[in-house]
Amino acid sequence: MSREAEIRQALREWVVKTSGKIKPQELDDETPIIERRIISSVHVLDLILMIEHLSDTPIDVGKLKVGVFRNINTIYRNFFAESPDGR
Amino acid sequence: MGGKASVDLRQHPGCTWYENGQSALSGSLLELFRRFDRLFVEWAKESGAGEYSFPVFIPAHELAKLDYFGSFPHLVTFPVALDPEPANLESFARSFAGPGAPLGPGGAIRLTRPAAIRDVLTPAACYHFYIRFQGETLEAPRVVTTLATCFRREAHYTPLERQWSFSMREIVCIGSEGEVKQFLAKYRESLDAFFRRIGLPIAWANATDPFFNPSRNPKSIMQRIEPVKTEMVFGGRLAVGSINFHQNYFGEVFGLRRAGKAAYSGCVAFGLERWISAFLTHFGWEQSDWPDIEMT
Repeated sequence: MSREAEIRQALREWVVKTSGKIKPQELDDETPIIERRIISSVHVLDLILMIEHLSDTPIDVGKLKVGVFRNINTIYRNFFAESPDGR
Repeated sequence: MGGKASVDLRQHPGCTWYENGQSALSGSLLELFRRFDRLFVEWAKESGAGEYSFPVFIPAHELAKLDYFGSFPHLVTFPVALDPEPANLESFARSFAGPGAPLGPGGAIRLTRPAAIRDVLTPAACYHFYIRFQGETLEAPRVVTTLATCFRREAHYTPLERQWSFSMREIVCIGSEGEVKQFLAKYRESLDAFFRRIGLPIAWANATDPFFNPSRNPKSIMQRIEPVKTEMVFGGRLAVGSINFHQNYFGEVFGLRRAGKAAYSGCVAFGLERWISAFLTHFGWEQSDWPDIEMT
């Protein structure tokens, strides 16, 4: 499994486990996890910690852009890919 | 006409300003207030809205379900009464019986023991609806409207723009995700057309609720990265209203169900005093210069 596939799988597993509202087969990389409140504000700090742990890079919460946590794809692009969305 | 500089509404004969952050309206300003509110009610009725009138207090235990006190401790205002125990009342009354100034510094009441506080003065109009309908399963989307006097404590007040008590008309939709999104999109389009027609320069801007310690509040962080509030901003500084998508937050907290899931909700909110301020700032104080807001 590639590093990218591992990260995406880890993120999906974290979302399913943390949320408790969705089954693994109901979550794909485009599922809007914030808008549907699969992940809510009580989880957002844990999500940030989880991404910091996976990427081994600290996140400046004050500089987070709109839409970065929208779905697994936006999280991957913004925190793990070479060319993030304007971050 | 148009683009006039910000004016001191304290000088307007239709506005009486109280330094504790409240205003009284009369004459042309009271008439304008009523015209705006009639217009908002008409818009609500076009969506089949039922109209409601609520009391001023909201039970604290209901607002606590929303973590209101942790999120907005700087805004909250409570109704306070004295503990009715006779000796407590005697003691309070006695302090006003003697000669001299009975009040403390700055006109402050010298309270004896207060009764337990179990209520809050309404901070936002739409809360009443989720509390009123809690536990219901909706067979169809529900659109409702109310006008509420709302209370938000602030560090500074400005006539008609930032007040301790002010008037908020809200149109609320509770339904499925698609129904609520459609409702909000329709109002966004109608409002755009309205602002264009009367020539009031309004820009839409993403915003967050005024959380306490926003940089440390997960709800504020969440609203910043996934905006759910879009404000109607006049002159680059004054939000006269907002469109808010609550997702299924109130549905989950208050057990509202629609189509087998926690209901979604959204609201369109209008701050009536701010509408008057924006209107007078842009079109001037002369009624003859004002556009016809009712024309369709």
